[in-house]
Amino acid sequence: MYASRKYWAIAWVLVLPALIIRVFTTIYPIIETFRISLYEVKLLRGIREFVGFGNFIEMFQDSKVIASIEFTAIFVAGSMIGHIVLGIALALILNMKFAGQKVLRTIVLLPWAMPMVVIAMASKWAFNNEYGLINDFVRWFNPNFSLDWLIHTNTARYAVIAVDLWKDLPFFAILVLAGLQFISAEMYEAAKIDGAGHVRSFFSITLPLLSRNILMLSIFFTMWRITSFDVVYAMTSGGPGESTALIAYRVTTEAFTNLNTGYAAAIAVVLFLVMALLSGLSMSAAKRVDY
Amino acid sequence: MTTQNPRPLPLTLLMWGLALIVAFLILFPLWWIFISSITPAGELFSKPIKYWPDHPTLASYRYLIENVGLLPKIWDTAIIVGLSILIGMIVSVMAAFSFARFRTRGLAVAVGFLLASMLIPDVVTARPLYDFLRSVHLYDTYTGLIILYISGILPFTILILQNYLNDIPVSIEESAAIDGCGFYQSLIYVTVPLLRPALATVCIVNFITCLNNFFTPLFYSNGISVLSTAITQLPLRDNMYAVPWDLVSAMGWIIIVPIIVFVAIFQRQIMEGIMAGGVKG
Repeated sequence: MYASRKYWAIAWVLVLPALIIRVFTTIYPIIETFRISLYEVKLLRGIREFVGFGNFIEMFQDSKVIASIEFTAIFVAGSMIGHIVLGIALALILNMKFAGQKVLRTIVLLPWAMPMVVIAMASKWAFNNEYGLINDFVRWFNPNFSLDWLIHTNTARYAVIAVDLWKDLPFFAILVLAGLQFISAEMYEAAKIDGAGHVRSFFSITLPLLSRNILMLSIFFTMWRITSFDVVYAMTSGGPGESTALIAYRVTTEAFTNLNTGYAAAIAVVLFLVMALLSGLSMSAAKRVDY
Repeated sequence: MTTQNPRPLPLTLLMWGLALIVAFLILFPLWWIFISSITPAGELFSKPIKYWPDHPTLASYRYLIENVGLLPKIWDTAIIVGLSILIGMIVSVMAAFSFARFRTRGLAVAVGFLLASMLIPDVVTARPLYDFLRSVHLYDTYTGLIILYISGILPFTILILQNYLNDIPVSIEESAAIDGCGFYQSLIYVTVPLLRPALATVCIVNFITCLNNFFTPLFYSNGISVLSTAITQLPLRDNMYAVPWDLVSAMGWIIIVPIIVFVAIFQRQIMEGIMAGGVKG
């Protein structure tokens, strides 16, 4: 029906608004990012000169950039291990059949629906040593407990990862749950007849059948984490020192606070290339894992 | 269906125990934000922490309305989110229809481009986009923000609608044509109504996405202030506890309450939307 020539123009007219919007908000600016990454642009001092790969060479000697790459790696690894282990556990809990199931699933949706900034701002308060919720809770068990979470490098990092998990792990679990529901009940019954217990059927049926689903989810969640920004913006401002400055936070600080536009663009280019490489690799890996 | 043995009591208790722990971990922080929002600033800094204030007060909320301009912020948020969703849906339906019903090489490239553009992170394009918006006078305007919000929801929305359209047989549109329906009539009167369930789902998910958008209003607006950024822009106090936690909590709770209500009402559609947009296993 729609094969005739007449419809060719209509097809493009329908697509055009979406294409134009995306070109102006993604394609045009990313080309600009690549271009200005080759310039030294310091808006504060009115400098603008071509430096070739100078920005790139500079960034790999810049302790701030290295610190942010380091924390981004820790953040992604820590958060993803948490997501996968606890996410599967939570998905199994959500999959239990009991009277409160529906209510529990609704509750679990809440963190997903909330803005990260609100959670991050509240966390900053919750992790306060004297007046915060977290330590007050710990003091039920150990009355002498005292720790300023956000003042020390390691504990600040744990805190940021914990907040990230609180917000996104339920969402991860819901998506794992979606995968769980594709596994037929007959499989478990057959396993039961063969004498497999709950633990055995989890490792022999559930996990293998979920592996593709979990791999794909992990890829997407990893991508989102590599470009995370708001948790650190609102919770620690990258501190103490530079210890929680995620790479995305570093880029925006250089671009909008220090007004080192060219330098920020260079970091952004590397970030983009890493993302592109990772997605390419993971997509081809995902094709191989197939059940 | 095989008959189920009644579940042993310890297992039932374990289930409820786990469920309660999960519910507690999620709900308690939200409750605590509420408590903080009705606690007078002085009492917030008392030890041990009070889980119910001695003198509950709505002073923080009143302060937000009278001195921080809460109502204009709600208005800005409503305009931007509302128009973004509405226009975004129209643009997405058009594109999804075209992608689902016409097959040419050019369109296949266009789809590929739309999907690939999802890979470009906000931070990577932020500065050039900021400069561009300034140069065309769209910085800090409703138009500029709405365009950016729409751009954010387009790929996901088109993807879901296109998947849904692929499952609707073309023959329905063909029979409409035989009955004398023109092309646009059949699109508006036949196809769009069939899309209604998918539209509802996408609309709900987009509502949350737009409401929670923080990056866009943070970097591309200044005077126009939406709720998500407003919480980081509350006036600091000049005492030792410079961050006004009572106001932050109140602002947080104002943002959270509608979301809780919304999630409770649309729980089913949200689940479906998330799962449809999620990874196909």
